[in-house]
Amino acid sequence: MNSTPPLLELRDISKQFPGVKALDHVSFAVHSGEVHMLVGENGAGKSSLMKVLCGAYRADEGEFFHRGEKVEIRSPADARALGIAVIFQEFSLVPYLSIAQNIFLGREFPGRFPGTIDHARMHREAKQLLDQLGLDIPTRTLVHELGVAQQQMVEIAKALSQNARILVMDEPTAALSDRETERLFAMIRQLQSDGVAIVYISHRMAEVFAMGDRITVLRDGKKVASLLPGEATPDELVHLMVGRSVDRSYARNFCQSEGELILEVKDLSSVNGVKGINLTVRSGEIVGLSGLVGAGRSEVARAIFGADRVTGGEILLHARAHRGNPDKAVAAGIALVPESRKAEGLALIRSVCDNLMLPGLSLAFPSRIYHAARARQIAGALIDRLRISTPSSQRPVRLLSGGNQQKVVIGKWLGSGSRLFIIDEPTRGIDVGAKAEIFALIDQLVSQGAGVLMISSELSEIVQVCDRSYVMRDGRIAGHLSREQLSEENILKMGVHHE
Amino acid sequence: MNDAIASGRLMARLVDLKTIGYRLAAALAICLVLAAASDVFLTTNNLLNVLRQASLLFLLASGLTLVILTAGLDLSVGANIGMSACIAASVIKLTGSAMLGAATGVGVGLAIGLLNGVLVALMRMPPFIATYGMLWVVHGVTYWFMAGTTIYGFPAAFRALGSGYFLGLPIPVYLMFVFLALGSFFAQRTTYGQEIYAIGANREAARLSGVPIAKRLILVYAVSGAMAGLASLVFLARMNSAEGDIGEAFTLPAIAAALIGGTSLFGGVGTVSGTLVGALILTLVLNGMNLLTIDASWQPLVTGVIVLLAVFFDALTRKGGDGRQ
Amino acid sequence: MSENSIATPPGTTSTFSAELRRVPGVAWILGLLVLVFALASRDFLSAPNLLNIGLQSVILLILALPMTMIIMTEGVDISMGAVLTLASVVLAWVLAHDGSLPLALAAALVTGLAFGVGNGMLVALLKMPPFVVTLGTMGVAQGLALLATDGQSIVVSNDSLQAVYAGSFMGIPQTLLIGAVVYALSHWLLYQTRFGTYVFALGGNPDALGLAGIRANYYLIAVYAFGGLMAGLAALILTSRMSSGHPTAAIGMEFDAIAAVVVGGTSFEHGNGWLFGTLLGVLAVGALRNGLNLLTVASSVQVSCIGLLVIVALLIDGFKGKK
Repeated sequence: MNSTPPLLELRDISKQFPGVKALDHVSFAVHSGEVHMLVGENGAGKSSLMKVLCGAYRADEGEFFHRGEKVEIRSPADARALGIAVIFQEFSLVPYLSIAQNIFLGREFPGRFPGTIDHARMHREAKQLLDQLGLDIPTRTLVHELGVAQQQMVEIAKALSQNARILVMDEPTAALSDRETERLFAMIRQLQSDGVAIVYISHRMAEVFAMGDRITVLRDGKKVASLLPGEATPDELVHLMVGRSVDRSYARNFCQSEGELILEVKDLSSVNGVKGINLTVRSGEIVGLSGLVGAGRSEVARAIFGADRVTGGEILLHARAHRGNPDKAVAAGIALVPESRKAEGLALIRSVCDNLMLPGLSLAFPSRIYHAARARQIAGALIDRLRISTPSSQRPVRLLSGGNQQKVVIGKWLGSGSRLFIIDEPTRGIDVGAKAEIFALIDQLVSQGAGVLMISSELSEIVQVCDRSYVMRDGRIAGHLSREQLSEENILKMGVHHE
Repeated sequence: MNDAIASGRLMARLVDLKTIGYRLAAALAICLVLAAASDVFLTTNNLLNVLRQASLLFLLASGLTLVILTAGLDLSVGANIGMSACIAASVIKLTGSAMLGAATGVGVGLAIGLLNGVLVALMRMPPFIATYGMLWVVHGVTYWFMAGTTIYGFPAAFRALGSGYFLGLPIPVYLMFVFLALGSFFAQRTTYGQEIYAIGANREAARLSGVPIAKRLILVYAVSGAMAGLASLVFLARMNSAEGDIGEAFTLPAIAAALIGGTSLFGGVGTVSGTLVGALILTLVLNGMNLLTIDASWQPLVTGVIVLLAVFFDALTRKGGDGRQ
Repeated sequence: MSENSIATPPGTTSTFSAELRRVPGVAWILGLLVLVFALASRDFLSAPNLLNIGLQSVILLILALPMTMIIMTEGVDISMGAVLTLASVVLAWVLAHDGSLPLALAAALVTGLAFGVGNGMLVALLKMPPFVVTLGTMGVAQGLALLATDGQSIVVSNDSLQAVYAGSFMGIPQTLLIGAVVYALSHWLLYQTRFGTYVFALGGNPDALGLAGIRANYYLIAVYAFGGLMAGLAALILTSRMSSGHPTAAIGMEFDAIAAVVVGGTSFEHGNGWLFGTLLGVLAVGALRNGLNLLTVASSVQVSCIGLLVIVALLIDGFKGKK
């Protein structure tokens, strides 16, 4: 495209995490004045690449070149010095400080006296930045008074104020309305003409093709393609993102007959932004709930379980209306394996036995008298059945490997009399062997008559394991795929924006 | 596999013994030092006195231990003692019935605890602030109720609760063992106890496992209040008089006893039996200072330093990597 | 949040008019108290009594201003009353041993500062819970005050000391002037300096400080240190008013300060604090105490009323937070 060396070039970057190669010899270049789109399905390596770029991760292998000269990015400070600024999806804003104070946090202009701030100059420069973004809000407005979209704009202003030459954006339009999106795009074009290089991660096909000067596709930590927008259609791009032959390692006997209806959700909405959810789960089937990260999958799980407040709609369990806190849900036979096993699933300092026994305490000990020996016996049986590798049921669960911890989080529901299992990201951060065991366990549950609603970001898992799947987008059910229709490509087509 | 489980079981018991054992050894060491430093220490009278004081502290701290196990705190226990004692005292004076007075004392303590529980569990107020506000409300009401007066002179049957002996041991010591057994049973041998530990270890995980958080929290604050009410009776019977400020000096030592006994402020770790050892250690230190004729003015300073040290070690072991952030 | 942004136009951090817009909650409480007491007691609105409220509230104000900043960092300092007491004892002791007033004041300030830095280091570096840390240091300060005095008052007859509380400058009582200066200083610190900006961030989003390369711990220690220093300063006024240092003089006063902060609308979460609200909160607590005094309500019941005030304010805060 041009002969000058790229503003920033990465060559053969690799990053290894225990059990997974997050980046595998990825090369990537971005030119001044270019919008470089980065696409790929969940877990393809986009966020790892972004973190390497901003110095949050250190690459294991590979080289960086800035305007053709070799440089190092070992820390956030290195990245800043090269003019790289990242806008993360989680905001780094302070709620009770003004827009201007947030933009210049940590880089305040010194005032007349030591330690003071030159407020006049700060607000003046903040105003300029906001004007540049077409944002007409007083710079003294406190950030907590702003909507999510405006907060996003403040983040962008913050990055711009650091004179970023390379701006990395992670799905910047996820929370924006159409009008705000247009404004953001206008600003990006403005920055482009000023010579700023932009790395833009997106799931929305429309903006990938509208805004991108170049598109790089990542899959399984590898770069699979780097092309110009005219060289592919959206469908071809989706195909590139998925593009692997289906792996049959977790194959199971799919549900043949239609079982009894366990869960029926009608028009459910909750405080966490899920709207108008309709779904059913029957005895003997594994129902997938797929979609991209942030589509509201976990929020549906939490609403059904009563962990988030339900604001409308109905939940029918065995045809009876159910609503209430998690303790009611557990009593009614619902089990939730939450997304974050450390924050929500396990009492890490307590023993394997204690964790395994917790949900089923009142079933195991109806008199409320707890017998430690009996608990150890029950836990021991579960440990054997699930093949949890631990020297003793009394070992603190924090000392177990990720896969074994996950078995504990699922296993603790086996003694609670649950008929409906909602399993959120069953295989996150665990190795291949443990994955197969966990799927065998889930298969065992449904063959004994339970119903499973399974959430996974790994599309291949949904395709291999589920009898059918719902696909979510923006807090709503975007569609339903039967066993025959279920493929990664179809999930992606439903889950990404095609507007 | 079975071998592994069996050996693990044995290990667990040994470790448990180790945590209590360290503290018992420390208590013993203090005893040795005091025995060497003072002739009076090993007299029967003094030892019984230590036991009696420790039992009062334990009664108060055992309820508090349950609260701290849920990663909460009850700062109102001292003020609770004051109010329970004063109201119990005036009921005894009015009706002449020690039983009725005792029931009132425990009832008042329970009521204050319930209020704390409602503020913390249902109103979602931070436990520190809720019980701190409660401290001052209760404190003021007690002063208003007493209006500077002292109520004294109770029936001998009631006084026996604090100063009586049975088979050569002070009656409060029996109470201590009864509540050690009850408290340990509740914490270790009921499903409620298991749930309370789980709440302290990871509240969200406990909630998502179906533990009814609000009910359990109200329960522990109520128990803590009722134990303060009971402790107030023992104290009242021992002092044979009640004034408005009767409980003020108890809050810090009660917290100290639980912390020294190995209960973690971060929740989920600790035992009632540990708190007993903590109460013993603290009482021994204070008794020793007394025997060595160190001014009583040193007591708040020493207790404060002990609390700081206990919190320091707690923070240190937590950093030592039990996996929580 | 949405509720807020509909009800009030976007505010600003530092202009006076913006602060006035946030008045409602605490102003209602203050207005209600004034109204009730004015009806109940003829003396309440008299000029001497109003001056009295002002004078009595200055010590509370000096404690409540740094307490606001500490609470904004999601902490608290329970040791403040005891540290003030100890500093007062130290100040009286130096004067009673023929030290000069400046020397005595310096000693009191250093005492307060030492405790403040200690609290800050324990909280910031060891990540210990502020409530229990300061409960421990409260015991230490209280114990030291008792030890230094044997439980007795240290009486001082020093003219320049007495002049601090009794004296006036250009017709304005000096005590009020000290209060005004401390308010101006705190306001300046919180709204005009980097320190103040980082106080908001410490409670609101400490990670943002880390990302910006700021050493958050350093500022957290400084907040507690400021609290200790102000407790030392308050000791000057307290000792001057009582002409003595007494080992239990200001025990529990931190609760009045916490009450003033909470009533004034500062929250224990998200770094949401408001200095002018604290000023009004101080006046509310001062008016409550003074009014109940006029009605000859016992001081203990006054404490109960303040306790209730705190619980009610927290409940309101909680309900607001749920929306």
